Amino acid sequence: MIEVQNVTKRYGQHVAVDHVSFTVNDGEILGFLGPNGAGKSTTMNIITGYISATEGTVKIDGIDILDQPEEAKKRIGYLPEFPPLYMDMTVAEYLDFVCDIRKVSSAERKQSLERIMDIVKIDDVKGRLIKNLSKGYKQRVGVAQAMIGNPQVLVLDEPTVGLDPRQIIEMRDLIKRLGKSHTIILSSHILPEVSAVCDRIIIINKGKIVAAGTPDNLSKHLGGGRLSLRVAAPEKQVVAALEQVPGIARVEPRGTFEPGTVDVVVDPDQEVDIRRPVFNALSRADCPILMMRPLDLSLEEIFMQVTTQESEVS
Amino acid sequence: MIGVYKKELKAYFSTPTGYVFMGFFLLIAGFFFAISNLFPMVANYNGMLGNLTFIFLIVVPILTMRLLAEEMRQKTDVLLLTSPLSVGEMIIGKYFAAVTVFLITLLITCMYPVMMSFFGDIAVWEIIGGYVGFFLLGSTFIAIGLFISSLTDNQVIAAVVTFSVLLLLWVMDALQSVVPTDIVSGVVFASALVAAVAIWLYSAARNIYVSLVAAIAGGAVIAGLYIANKDIYTGFIGKVLAWFSLLNRYNEFSLGILSLSPIVYYITFSAAFVFLTIRNIEKKRWS
Repeated sequence: MIEVQNVTKRYGQHVAVDHVSFTVNDGEILGFLGPNGAGKSTTMNIITGYISATEGTVKIDGIDILDQPEEAKKRIGYLPEFPPLYMDMTVAEYLDFVCDIRKVSSAERKQSLERIMDIVKIDDVKGRLIKNLSKGYKQRVGVAQAMIGNPQVLVLDEPTVGLDPRQIIEMRDLIKRLGKSHTIILSSHILPEVSAVCDRIIIINKGKIVAAGTPDNLSKHLGGGRLSLRVAAPEKQVVAALEQVPGIARVEPRGTFEPGTVDVVVDPDQEVDIRRPVFNALSRADCPILMMRPLDLSLEEIFMQVTTQESEVS
Repeated sequence: MIGVYKKELKAYFSTPTGYVFMGFFLLIAGFFFAISNLFPMVANYNGMLGNLTFIFLIVVPILTMRLLAEEMRQKTDVLLLTSPLSVGEMIIGKYFAAVTVFLITLLITCMYPVMMSFFGDIAVWEIIGGYVGFFLLGSTFIAIGLFISSLTDNQVIAAVVTFSVLLLLWVMDALQSVVPTDIVSGVVFASALVAAVAIWLYSAARNIYVSLVAAIAGGAVIAGLYIANKDIYTGFIGKVLAWFSLLNRYNEFSLGILSLSPIVYYITFSAAFVFLTIRNIEKKRWS
């Protein structure tokens, strides 16, 4: 549905987006993750045709956004970081205007507006001036605006920023529901949000894609068979016993959480299963294992890992 | 285009802008009408209109300052530029909305000559000619203001710059009489013009060869004309300024003459600035 190929954006010497390529399949919800200033908004602005790329192409449903902008833009609804709302209009006036510029015929306008207002639940404020709405309502009007003209693709830039926890949950549910009938690209710097909503995640840092995959895949792949252990023995003894096990790269004591025990995290050398050797070694050393648990990285940790690796290299 | 036009028109009257423009315009127009027609009981309406043209200096910035600057500041330009609407439709819609507000205001002032007609004969066609000229002049200034509004995201800057540019156009007539008229200064001025065009080409196209070719071609034309007939450069600066003087051409309308050339001139001038605005907005997406 969306093909992004080798997209680069330069501002003078500064490279905001650096040869980014990915595709989004029909009906998929793609999460775009990265710290502030990573190039998420720039990439989204390029996909929606607001700004143009210095290099590379973007195709929506096979249509190039630069060659046939009108055709391509019909297929995209965009909620930018700051919802583009006219403060002096009422919600109904505003949505009507968006219908005008998105060329929605007057025959289907009333029905589709009613449907959209029902989905995003702004029916009760349609007569109010936008400047008097709360942040949550403004955001929802922004989403409503993106849905007008029935685009197949929705691009949502930080849709939950500035909302209170209940509104965040509502917004997530809304996105999940929209995901059933739309292809969605969503950006965020909040990880739980992305893992809760998205089918696939792309992590971007300093304009480059540093990791991509499903939430599960990412945490497994980067987790790489780490183990967390709780052993009823003094720390020294445990570490000494573990260090003799072949295939262990690193033993990391984490301190005592239960009286008379110690917690350690064990990193394997490669992606090999070290659970058996670890058990045997500790049992020989007479250190009873009270708990052993594979340690998948949480998305936070993946995020920290890939983004700090990147900065160490550069 | 219709959508943007309707929205802008509504915006003029849901914010104070439209009322301030109309109120101020009508106040000054009424004042002038009273001073120059009503009290001295003079029927020369076009003379009053001619004096009134100075009002554009103040009211045109009010009308045009927010057109694009405000969209950029509120970041609502994203909505327009990511919709299936072309930039041209968007700019033209905005331009016509501003012109419409101006036209409505102008039509209200038509009651002055109607009032005068109750008390004697008025030169109907002469006044219509005057109005056509006044409208075209105002529309041209609005196009200039629209362009300036696209250069900044600050309304105040847009207003001040528009005012300054219109003022410059105003004093151009006065400048004509004081600029040097000798051949050397004419040649220097022509060279400066060619250099300016070349630099503009370079900044727009980022192509050194195109601008070099333009500069060399321009230089050749200047040299060729100098060899062929150097008297052409006598008073050259004044001629160029006169050609750009928007007010000069208004005088014909004042006399009630409706000839094609000034009408075409004004419309071309407006179209050029609307086009420049479109280019400017499109260019922003590339930088």
